Amino acid sequence: MSEPTVFLIDDDASFLTAISRLLRGMGFAVRSFDSAKAFLNELSTTARGCVLVDLKMPGLSGLDLQKSLAQTENPLPVIFLTGQADIPSTVQAMRGGAEDFLTKRAPKEEVAGAIRRAFERDEVERLKRSRLRELRSRLATLTDREQQVLRHVIRGQMNKQIAAELGINERTVKLHRTSVTRKLRAPSVAELTRLCQEVGIEPRRDPDKP
Amino acid sequence: MLEQAFRTELSRQCQSPIEFYAEHMDASHFSNKELYQIFSDYLAAKYAGEPLDLVMVFLGRDFKLAEDLPPHVFPKVPAIFLTANELEVPEPLMRSGIAGMVARYDPADTIALMRQLQPDLQKIVVVGGVSESDRKTLTRVEQASRATPGIEFEFWTNNVIKELLEPASELPPRTALLMSTILADAAGQTYYMSQSAQLLAPAASVPLYSLGGGAIGHGAVGGAVMDPAVIGMDVATVAAKALKGALPEPRISVRTNISRIVDWQQLRRWGISEARVPADCVVANRPKSLWEEHKRTISLMVAVLLAQAATIFALLVQLAQRRRAEMQIQQQRAELAHAARLSTMGQLASSLAHEINQPLGAILRNAEAAEMFLQRDSPDLTELRAIVADIRKDDQRAGGVIDRMRSLLKRQKLERTSLDIRELLDETLTIARSDARARGVQITIETAAGLPPVLADRVQLQQVLLNLALNAMDAMTNSTNENGTSRIILGAERDREGKVEISVRDFGEGLSSERLPHVFEPFFTTKTNGMGMGLAISKTIIEAHGGVIRARNNPDRGATFSFTLPAERPAATAAQPSRS
Repeated sequence: MSEPTVFLIDDDASFLTAISRLLRGMGFAVRSFDSAKAFLNELSTTARGCVLVDLKMPGLSGLDLQKSLAQTENPLPVIFLTGQADIPSTVQAMRGGAEDFLTKRAPKEEVAGAIRRAFERDEVERLKRSRLRELRSRLATLTDREQQVLRHVIRGQMNKQIAAELGINERTVKLHRTSVTRKLRAPSVAELTRLCQEVGIEPRRDPDKP
Repeated sequence: MLEQAFRTELSRQCQSPIEFYAEHMDASHFSNKELYQIFSDYLAAKYAGEPLDLVMVFLGRDFKLAEDLPPHVFPKVPAIFLTANELEVPEPLMRSGIAGMVARYDPADTIALMRQLQPDLQKIVVVGGVSESDRKTLTRVEQASRATPGIEFEFWTNNVIKELLEPASELPPRTALLMSTILADAAGQTYYMSQSAQLLAPAASVPLYSLGGGAIGHGAVGGAVMDPAVIGMDVATVAAKALKGALPEPRISVRTNISRIVDWQQLRRWGISEARVPADCVVANRPKSLWEEHKRTISLMVAVLLAQAATIFALLVQLAQRRRAEMQIQQQRAELAHAARLSTMGQLASSLAHEINQPLGAILRNAEAAEMFLQRDSPDLTELRAIVADIRKDDQRAGGVIDRMRSLLKRQKLERTSLDIRELLDETLTIARSDARARGVQITIETAAGLPPVLADRVQLQQVLLNLALNAMDAMTNSTNENGTSRIILGAERDREGKVEISVRDFGEGLSSERLPHVFEPFFTTKTNGMGMGLAISKTIIEAHGGVIRARNNPDRGATFSFTLPAERPAATAAQPSRS
C-alpha cells in the first residue's frame, strides 16, 4: 500500500511548481497534474491521500473533477484552491463534499492542516469502505432463504413466527439462523442488526402494515 | 426750359385746366416789317374764334418787333411780357398798359465767383458785343469792374469774334475771360451765348466765364446766371394773378434771379479744385457717379453681394457649428470608448484579480518553500536558485497583468506602432484566459505563417479583440452545448488584397438573419445587461485604422467576427511569389 500523497492539479505551471515545492519541503508526498483529465487517467484504486485542485480550470473544472471522483471506487477527499472565492462556487463545492476550500495565498500552516485532515479522513473513509466491502462479501455468501430468514430475525421475530410466515418447519428456520450467524460471524441478534444497518439491509416489513 | 417751368407752375397755381398755344416768330433772324405784318394778321385770323384769357410775350433780343404786337393783335386781352435783357423797357410797351418782367444779368456776382474759383486772378478780359443791348450790359460790367479793386480789366468789345480766337489763346496765366452778351460783333454777326462760348472756350488759354447761362455746358467755366426755371416760375406767378384779374404793381418789375453755376468738366479742364466752389453754387455737367448712373444695377449687385456674403457667413457659421458638433461627437465617442473599456474592465476585473493572484500565490509558496529549505543544515542551493528565478518570473508576470490593466484603463489617443499579430493574439488569450476558464471555454489560436506586422494602436486593437472574444464566450454561455464544443478560435490570415484578416470564431448558436445586419449599430444588443456599444466602438476603432469589420455565420455552427487591417509594408508582400 502506497503512502498518503497530495495530488496537485492546476493548469498554472508556475503555481503548480511552487506549491509542490513547498509541500514536498513540508514532507508531503506530492504528485502534480496540469489537468483534471490527466489526473483521473492515472488515478489508481489504491492511491491514498487527497486532491488539491484549482477551482477554475479550462476543460474539466475543480467542481467537475469532484463529481467525477465521487463516482470512482477511490473517492479521495478534495481540497479546493482558488484565486479568490466566490460564494456560488464555494457553496457548490462544500455541498459536493469538499474537504476544504482555501485561497491560493492561504497560510501554509492552514494548507498543511487541511491536507492532514484530509489524509485522516481518507484513512477513516478508506477503513469504512474496506469493512463495508468485507461485510458485503460475507453477505454475498448467504443463500436466498438465509437472507429471507435474516431479515425476519433482525425484526426481532421468534423462530416459530418466522416458520409460520415463511411456511416452513421451525427446525429448518433454526438451521438457517445458525448458518447465517456463522457466515456473518455475528453471534448475537444485536450484532446482526448493527451489521445489517451498516450495509443497508432493511428489516423485513410487517406484511400486515405495508 | 423757361416755358416748361412757366406752364407747370401756372397749371399748379390755377386749379382749372389751362390750354396753351405757342407761336414762334423768330424775330431775331427774320426781322422785317412785312413778315411781322403777315404774322400779326395770321395770329388775328387764327385766334379770332378763340376767347384768349392772357397773352404772354417772351421777348427775344429785339423789343422793337414786339412794340405793337399784343395790343394790336389781341386788343382786349391782358398781356404780360418777359424779357431777359438789359435794355430799358421800350416806351410803347410801357404805354401799352401791359405788365412785364425784366430779368437782369449780374456781372458783379459773376466776377466774385471768378475770384473765388481763381484766388490768384490778376486780370479779366471782357468780351462783348456792339449792339445797343450789348453796350448796356457792358456798362454794367464796367460798373462792376470799378467795384472790384486789385483786378485789371481789359475790354475786347469792338471786335470780330473770330478774330479774337488768337489773342485769347495767348493770354497769360492768372487771367480769365468774361463773356458778356454778343448780340452783334463788329462784323454784325449775331451770336447765341452758346455759340460764342463754343468758339472762344476751346481756343482760350485761360478759363472763360459767362454772364448768361447759355454758355454753360458749351465751354464756359461758369457764372452767376439767370436760371430759366426760376424765371419761368416767377412769370407764372404774375400770370396767375393776371388771370384772376389782378395785374401786378409795379407793372414792370426787374428780377435778378441769379444762380451761380459752374461746369464740372471745365473745372477739371482748368484744374480748379471743387473745394473752391462755394456752397451756394450749382455744379452742372458733373458726370453721374457710378451710383447715380447704375443705381438699380449697383443696388441689385450690392443686394446680391450682401445676400451672397450672408449666405457665405451663414455657411461658415454652420460649418463652425458642424465642426464643433463633430468635435463633440468625437469627444463623446472617445468617452464612450473609454466607458466601454471600463465596462470591459469590469467584466474582466475579477478574472484579472485571479490572474494576479496566480503569480502572487506562486511567489508566496516559493518564498515559503525557500524559507523552509534555508532552515535545513545543508540547503539545496540548486533548488533555492530555481525558486528565486521562479519568484522573479512570477513577479514580472504579475507586473505584466497590472501594466495591461493600466493600459486598458488609460484613455489614449491613437498611437500606432508596428504590431505582430501573433503576439497580439497571445496577449488577448492571456487576458481572456481566466475569464474563459471560469466559463469553461477553450481559446485556441490559429494563425497563418509569415503574417506581416500591422501598424495599429495596441491598446485599441486589444480592446476590439477582447470585446469580440468576450462576445464569443457570451454566445456560447447562452447556448446549450455538449462538452467539447465550448471553444473559440482566434485566427489570423492574409486576404486576397494582402490585408491581414483577424477573426474570432465561436461555436454558439450564431446570429439570426434579422440581427446580423444590425450588430454593429450602436445600442444594438442581444444581451440583457449589455449597452450595445461594444461592437459599435469596435467598428469605429477598426475603421479608424483603415480596416473593415464584419460578421457572418459559420457554415457549421456559431458565428465569426472578423476585421481586416492593412499590412504595414504591402510592398514587401508583393515581391513574394504568389502561391495560386
